[in-house]
Amino acid sequence: MSWQFEKVAGPYQGPTIGVAWDGEAVNFTVPNEGYIYRLNPTTNATSEYRRYMRRIAGIGFAPDGDFFGCQEGSRRIVQFQKDGSTRTTASFFEGVIHNHPNDLCVDKLGRVWFSDAYNPVPPIGIYRPPLSHASVLRLERDNNRAWRIVRVTQDTSAPRAVLLSPDEKTLYLSEGEAGGPRHCELRAYPVRPDGGVGDCVSLVTFGIDDRGTHRGIEGMCLDGDGNIVACCGSRQSGPGPMVIVISPKGVVLESHPLSFDMPMRCAFGGANLASLFVTSADGGLYRATANRNGLQRK
Amino acid sequence: MEIDRIAPGLDRIIDSSAPFDRVVHGIHFGEGPVWDKRTRQLYFVDILGNTIYKWKPGVGREVVMHPSGYADGMTLDREGRLIVAGWSSRNVWRLEKDGSQTLLATHFEGKKINAPNDIVMKSDGAIYFTDPAGGMMIPGMVAEDCQQYLDFNGVFRISPDGKKLTMVVKEGETPNGLAFSPDESILYVNDTRHAHIRAFDVKPDGGLGPGRVIYKLVGKEEGVADGMKVDTEGNIYCTGPGGIHILDSKGTLLGRLMISEHCTNFCWGDDDWHSIYITSHESVFRTRIKIPGIATW
Repeated sequence: MSWQFEKVAGPYQGPTIGVAWDGEAVNFTVPNEGYIYRLNPTTNATSEYRRYMRRIAGIGFAPDGDFFGCQEGSRRIVQFQKDGSTRTTASFFEGVIHNHPNDLCVDKLGRVWFSDAYNPVPPIGIYRPPLSHASVLRLERDNNRAWRIVRVTQDTSAPRAVLLSPDEKTLYLSEGEAGGPRHCELRAYPVRPDGGVGDCVSLVTFGIDDRGTHRGIEGMCLDGDGNIVACCGSRQSGPGPMVIVISPKGVVLESHPLSFDMPMRCAFGGANLASLFVTSADGGLYRATANRNGLQRK
Repeated sequence: MEIDRIAPGLDRIIDSSAPFDRVVHGIHFGEGPVWDKRTRQLYFVDILGNTIYKWKPGVGREVVMHPSGYADGMTLDREGRLIVAGWSSRNVWRLEKDGSQTLLATHFEGKKINAPNDIVMKSDGAIYFTDPAGGMMIPGMVAEDCQQYLDFNGVFRISPDGKKLTMVVKEGETPNGLAFSPDESILYVNDTRHAHIRAFDVKPDGGLGPGRVIYKLVGKEEGVADGMKVDTEGNIYCTGPGGIHILDSKGTLLGRLMISEHCTNFCWGDDDWHSIYITSHESVFRTRIKIPGIATW
């Protein structure tokens, strides 16, 4: 049965991107407006969570409720505090300001894994050279509770969506950009006990046709069975925009075509995590009642 | 340095053979220059280097403070103390003679101010500073709290007794450099994003009248509206595309000092106030003009 999506918020100025469930409401970002909004899943009423948060892409919660965002225009991860302030974390990796964080997830230790992509849109303010690589990086605290950054992947050039498996022993990563020179793919990296990763397995590979490279996965989340629910595709090339469900082994279990183009990110929310919320390049926030429930992280 | 002569009035200001020296190099984001007539030395900051320096002819560069809270614009008060626009530390403060710091502005109407950028002191002791949001957003200039609370990017005035903070300009996007006319009847404020300079009449109580745009900065070269100063005859100098734009008091462009590095700010200096010390991202330069600048206290 195909999921039916309805627009529950928007359109806003520019795309909606990050989306995350906080246990009561759906938080989503509108980078061009500088806002983070919260949507009440019962009434569909939206309220302002933050303003002046320029260019926040992916967002995510830690198991303890800490709330993080990829402030890609400022090339950093920020932490939204409950008192209304917004704290910065570390910006430098080996003495160089890292690139433009695009997506993140937080593990049970409170470490923030993020894709540190290149972005053709210049950062805010003066130009500083990017890193020589575009990798998955990880924020973690040292013994003094100060943030530091470690590099996770060594074989990426265009990391997009990041996600950890329920047992956090596998890092899922979407690699490649639509219009890029190579196939987009979904990779699975085994996470070693020391926090590093082993060699990846390609779970899903997207195609290329005469209209270009098919747009791969831009955002993903987990269902209660540990399957990957992913936003991908566009009308530019390939089979079009859709949400797909992928098993941990890489079997595509379901495909749900979308009536709107360029889905950005997705997150389960609402009662029993039974609704899937999807952000979009058209500036809307969409909701479907899925035949799956989201993973409730402990 | 090359001189882009637009109008004959420029000939009264600078010679085509004016000297041009690089007196400091190897910094990451120079800003905040101010000349101290008492000690005959230059203070400036390296924002990204998170340091306040002093530089003295024949002596060289020394660290005054590190970390500096990513300090930005600076001036001196009548006692010769540094008054600092705190930028990423989101405050204005004074460096006391004993090395301690005194906070002069942190909040307006209960809300934390944005990121004080540049600063000037009026003869009555009032301090005016611009308060855009850049210090919360620009990569690498890390504020402890990068949340903007004010709904405007304005200009503030601190009363001469240091007790009252007043918003004097509310409308603007990225107010940046500011400078008084010689008689202090006009405050000029530039705006980086709008690439213009506005003139505000100064009221007797220190407030400002409505702003009027007197100049639009144009040019394809590197550089933006940032630092700004006025000489003793009322000519206006403002960083912009190519280097430093020189205008008469009505805002007519006379010419440009074309400088190969991205200029951020400058100040008058030396005993006769005929020198200009220019900060760029990487360096501090010095040149000479024929009309003295307005002296710092």
